[in-house]
Amino acid sequence: MQKKNKGLKIFLTIFILSIGLIANFPFIFMISSSFKVSGEVMKFPWKLISENPTLMNFKALFTNGIYNFQKWYLNTIVMTGLTILIKIFFVSFTAYGFAKIKFKGKDFIFLILLSAMMIPSDIMIIPRYMIFKNLHILDSMWALILPSCVDVYFVFLLRQSFISIPDSISEAAKIDGCDHFRIYWRIIFPLAKPAIATMALFSFTWSWNDYMGPYLYISTMDKQMLSVGVKLFSSGMIQDYGTQMAAATVVLLPILIAFLFCQKFFIEGVASSAVKG
Amino acid sequence: MKMEKTSAPKGRTNGSKEQKKENRYGWLFISPYLIFFTIFTGIPFLIAIVMSFLNVKYITRLDNLKFVGFQNFIKIFKNKEIIASLLRTFQYSLVYVPLIMVVGFALAFILNKGVFLKNTTRSLVFMPYVSNMVAVAVIFKVLLGNNSPIIVALRNMGFNPPLLLQDLKLALPTVAIISVWKGVGLNMVVYLGALQEVPSELIEAAQIDGATKWQRIRKVIIPMISPTTFFLTISSIIGSFQNFTCIQALTEGGPGQATTVMSVNIVRTAFTKFDTSLASAMALIMFVIVMIVTLIQWRGQKKWVNY
Repeated sequence: MQKKNKGLKIFLTIFILSIGLIANFPFIFMISSSFKVSGEVMKFPWKLISENPTLMNFKALFTNGIYNFQKWYLNTIVMTGLTILIKIFFVSFTAYGFAKIKFKGKDFIFLILLSAMMIPSDIMIIPRYMIFKNLHILDSMWALILPSCVDVYFVFLLRQSFISIPDSISEAAKIDGCDHFRIYWRIIFPLAKPAIATMALFSFTWSWNDYMGPYLYISTMDKQMLSVGVKLFSSGMIQDYGTQMAAATVVLLPILIAFLFCQKFFIEGVASSAVKG
Repeated sequence: MKMEKTSAPKGRTNGSKEQKKENRYGWLFISPYLIFFTIFTGIPFLIAIVMSFLNVKYITRLDNLKFVGFQNFIKIFKNKEIIASLLRTFQYSLVYVPLIMVVGFALAFILNKGVFLKNTTRSLVFMPYVSNMVAVAVIFKVLLGNNSPIIVALRNMGFNPPLLLQDLKLALPTVAIISVWKGVGLNMVVYLGALQEVPSELIEAAQIDGATKWQRIRKVIIPMISPTTFFLTISSIIGSFQNFTCIQALTEGGPGQATTVMSVNIVRTAFTKFDTSLASAMALIMFVIVMIVTLIQWRGQKKWVNY
């Protein structure tokens, strides 16, 4: 019985690990190809490690003379950083109100926010264009930052994690004369750090990967983000496979590395929130 | 979804000085968010509805507006091209939703059964979820394009593989499958969390009662995780309608019109053909479809979801 189980376990491990590895083959292919000269990328039989690896593709990427890749990179870093910062305080502050303060009208407002989660974002794209135009933030990174800070999903998520912090702690602080601001900042915010870290990570990936936002709302080349940039770049370099793969690599690498270092937050954050919700 | 009752305590405390103070604080904490929410979600939603019944051409020119009733919707149902793109969205969903649900569950089930290197595998499958679709599309276009190493290898074996992304019939299912590859990690992780919550005593009890493996899965495990299935089905359906980035990055709606689904068509109608009102009406129809699907699910959940 034990023996049979062990055999099955090994078989299942091999099976599912191969699925995992096959799922990552595109990334392996990408990184491997980015160090090859373009002629070698499509060479058959395929080799994982190039016989004469080169950094030429990355050089070509940042000195191509047509597109300012560095500028796109910087824009995306600034935009993503600002989004995360604003979102952390904005959303946690709101979530505290919904989780820890008993006030009139709370349930009604929360119900409205929950129903808004159901609205597909595609319906918003045209009216938002008009609103950005009237606020004079069209064609600037604020058109990407501000809407993503009203993410209902995370208000909901953080509210759940704040609720799970026992009220006795904040009651004690209240008796000691702390008002809600202090309780939020001194007690709840530090205690909910794992949930907030999960939120920060997800915001990072969504902002970094956002394509529709910059595609629709940013028109000036120099203000553009990486996602749109890579698309422009790769359609302009159809035959230049090596450089295309280098472009994909510099876009994907920060995300993949962030994920590898913080996978615990990523995966456990998802699992706990979805199951409880 | 569990909702805690958190309303203000009724009775004597209501209206006390303490309660008034709490009310003030509460609104103080949520107002900044509510203002932004109204500007960027509430008002746009209302504008979208109103615009569907007007005759707006060009997003920024709002002079001589006219109320045209249901004309935009009638236009949509008479327009073969739009109806075709709506049908493509459904075809896409029919590939995407069942696949992502079944594969997500199967992977979670195997991982939960106990394998070595569980966390490594979990992370490997989740990896595509955090990746950038546009960069991924660049890779897939090379991998599935003419003379890629994979295609060449297959040709050398004597096969004649089609170029998936350039094939009129196969492009749409291919794009859907690539989306599944990208998104399935999330479904797997969520299912894994649900499976770990299933009490092992229940499964052992079924085993003692002589239930076969298959019966245990069908009669114990699947009913136990039905709330998760319900949640994932709805979010997968909504996700399958919002596939603009994935398709735009991979095929831009081509070859021909083969992958021009509703989301791509809405953006095209609004930002290239400048028919703002028509695009709004199209988006509204999509919204209503999502609502109907969700309501059907909500109604049906009494039958198969156990809380």
